[in-house]
Amino acid sequence: MTAYLLNLAQLAAIFGLLAASLNVLVGYGGIFSVAHAVFFGFGAYAGAQIALNVAPDVLLVSAAGGLVAGVLSLALALPALRVRGEYFVVASLGLQMVATTAFTEAEPVTGGLGGLVGIPPPQLLGLSLASPWAFLAVCLAALFGGLAVMRLLMRGSFGRSLMALRDSESAAEAFGKNVALLKTLAVALGCAIAGVAGGLFALQMAFVNVESFTLDQSVLVLAMVIVGGAGTLAGPLVGTLLLLLLPAALSFLPGIPPTEIGAVQQAIYGLAMTLLMIFRPAGLAGRAQGKR
Amino acid sequence: MLLAQLLVSGIQTGLLYALTAAGFALIFGATRIFHFAHGAAYALAGYGFVFAVRAGWSWPLAALLATVLAVGFGLFMDAFVYRPIQRHTGSFFTVFVAAFGVVIVVQSGIEIGFGRAFVAVTSSLTRASAVLPGLYLARAFWIALGAAAVLFGALGLFLARTRTGIALRALAENPDLLRAYGLSARRLSALAFALGSALAVPGAVLGAATTGLSPSVASHVMLVSLAASVVGGIGSLRGAAAGGLVLGVAENLVVSVLDTQWSEAAGFVVLFAFILFRPRGIFGAALAR
Amino acid sequence: MTPQAMTPPLAVRGLAKHFGGLAAVQGVDLDLPAGLITALVGPNGAGKTTLFNLITGALAPDAGDVLLDGARLGPTTPRQIARRGVARSFQDLRLFDHMSAGENVLAAIEPAAWFWQPGDAAARRAAAAAALADTGLTAAAGALAADLAYAERKFLSLARILATGARIWLLDEPASGLDPASRARFVALLRAAAGRGITVCLIEHNLDIVTELADRIVFLDQGRKLAEGAPEAILRDPALAAIYFGDRA
Ligand SMILES: Nc1ncnc2c1ncn2[C@@H]1O[C@H](COP(=O)(O)OP(=O)(O)OP(=O)(O)O)[C@@H](O)[C@H]1O
Ligand SMILES: [Mg+2]
Repeated sequence: MTAYLLNLAQLAAIFGLLAASLNVLVGYGGIFSVAHAVFFGFGAYAGAQIALNVAPDVLLVSAAGGLVAGVLSLALALPALRVRGEYFVVASLGLQMVATTAFTEAEPVTGGLGGLVGIPPPQLLGLSLASPWAFLAVCLAALFGGLAVMRLLMRGSFGRSLMALRDSESAAEAFGKNVALLKTLAVALGCAIAGVAGGLFALQMAFVNVESFTLDQSVLVLAMVIVGGAGTLAGPLVGTLLLLLLPAALSFLPGIPPTEIGAVQQAIYGLAMTLLMIFRPAGLAGRAQGKR
Repeated sequence: MLLAQLLVSGIQTGLLYALTAAGFALIFGATRIFHFAHGAAYALAGYGFVFAVRAGWSWPLAALLATVLAVGFGLFMDAFVYRPIQRHTGSFFTVFVAAFGVVIVVQSGIEIGFGRAFVAVTSSLTRASAVLPGLYLARAFWIALGAAAVLFGALGLFLARTRTGIALRALAENPDLLRAYGLSARRLSALAFALGSALAVPGAVLGAATTGLSPSVASHVMLVSLAASVVGGIGSLRGAAAGGLVLGVAENLVVSVLDTQWSEAAGFVVLFAFILFRPRGIFGAALAR
Repeated sequence: MTPQAMTPPLAVRGLAKHFGGLAAVQGVDLDLPAGLITALVGPNGAGKTTLFNLITGALAPDAGDVLLDGARLGPTTPRQIARRGVARSFQDLRLFDHMSAGENVLAAIEPAAWFWQPGDAAARRAAAAAALADTGLTAAAGALAADLAYAERKFLSLARILATGARIWLLDEPASGLDPASRARFVALLRAAAGRGITVCLIEHNLDIVTELADRIVFLDQGRKLAEGAPEAILRDPALAAIYFGDRA
């Protein structure tokens, strides 16, 4: 039981970081990406390769994950500069589909459908982190470190600029803001942090395959942000806890055959997304709608 | 001859995509709602058809049930999801998330009811005959061609010649004008959803009778409709039809150079290229910002 | 030398813009003399907002030039124009709705895109606070822009400009729909700004405000400049009045 809970806690920290990173794009930048799992994946594959071929050091692995995802985030920044609104959502959907195929096909790098297996237990500067408690501490440190960085940036001028262009791009530009650079930086920041989460994920799971980086995963992470409340610091965490605990809670519910738990869980969060958008579009942690 | 064969099956896929995407474009053109859940109408129609045929219904009756399901779903989305959201915010992202939630619900409902594996009804539609040495055409091809010709023809006449059809096209541009003519915008929007969703039925039925369906068709068809609409130029029926054809052909032709895995991705590479280099699409006038 | 004789801080020459078959702006020449308030008047659809969009680079002109301090600008972007000390407001305000009033003003004076801003953060906060105070918004500084009352929103749009320290203001119907008390405050604000040497061009439909505030009037109709001059002269012209009040027959 403890092992199960520790595992869940590690995942919650990793997904909390992932959801918070998507919040930079969606909540602050108004860049509605449905391809976040792609950058989680870039980070995870990069981290796994480093762990397998260099050393399973947490710092090295997360740095590699963040760097690779941050650089490749240009693939998302490019359409973000060209189009917005529905068009961008469609573009990111396209990116997600192409990336899923690429992950499956690029066997030398990603291991294809089988994935990369046998990732050694994590270390920190030579110290073993094989104990689940130790690795949980690392995950929590990454989560709160990441949150602190994002909080600092989002409460500062960078966050204000991002929100300004989210609320009115033309006005932001009229006040001298470099919209292209702001969007590129926001996308790079969000994706790099997603990459860090991906690196940790690879170490946590000890194997990675394409299943974790599909459209379903992107939508799950998006749901975490939306359900919790986009554009708030606490929202993504609330959403992550709710959506990660949901399957756990469902497994204790009588009457659901274990084989259907996945589908029932999907249906529940799909329904939650729809109902929330109809009745409380700002999310659970978000403030109720303004007067206008 | 392989290339010609792939081209032909590309055209067959593309015609069905074209119809489905035209449904999406019709809805968007009339209501400005980006109906992300359009693929769920397709999935419901397809699985409804499979269910009915398995229950021993005749094909026409089963197709009727499929149509009822698709149309009912469209009307439901209009009245109970999109309209309440538009009443308070109407931000496109709210609409997107709500619609996506519905897609997930439909998809997992199907998974629970029919399982994750492919389902299909057995038919002779895939039986092919040679029209040229080495070039085979399945009966499904002629059905797809016929359905597309008849439906596009009827739709074109309806939109161009009838009062309601013209009003439907004017809805998005000038709702006030409609009121002056005594037409109800609500009724027209319901009509757009009904017609648009019905256009997904031929693809769904033929899909069930040829390649088979899996629960993820809902999101696949959604993506295809979106991609076709963007490639063709959003809101343009002609564009969506052309876009659907382009995507269907691209998906099939790519198999001649790359692994079949890439066939779905090929469509999205086309989509991505369009968004980067010609976001207004083939026929689109100006990019709506 | 009189102000009129100096090079105007902002001028346009032969500016033209078509939208499809519609000539929205056709060969307009305009000088905005330093420290004066120029009112741009004309019926709906005259091309006033389009003229602002052309000046600020939000739209690319088909022909013509914008001159800053007498120097031709060439193709430009809203960002470059802003950095040259030109600030504008929007007819539909375009506030940063989901940010507080205070953040709206701060965001307007933080042009750097990087993760930090160069310069003095305390000075920027002071400037923002001063702009809020001048527009009577100090008490509302913490409220979301979307939640402000109509007049407060109008003033917030002005506060953003005030805080920038721009020397040329282009205001698109900033006073429309204001109650008399707010209007008096608005007139005083603009007068004070002009007194500090700020060059103001405002689009305004209310001729009372125009009379009260403007040093000069430029009259635009169907994309052409029909007249310009002192308010009394323009407003007394019966032909212009007929156009303005839609008596075109
Ligand atoms: N981006 C655009 N695309 C097409 N037509 C436009 C565009 N912007 C303005 N127009 C048209 O150009 C003409 C001039 O518009 P403009 O907004 O400049 O008028 P205005 O003088 O500001 O009017 P108002 O007093 O109503 O604000 C109008 O007929 C308008 O419909
Ligand atoms: Mg105007």
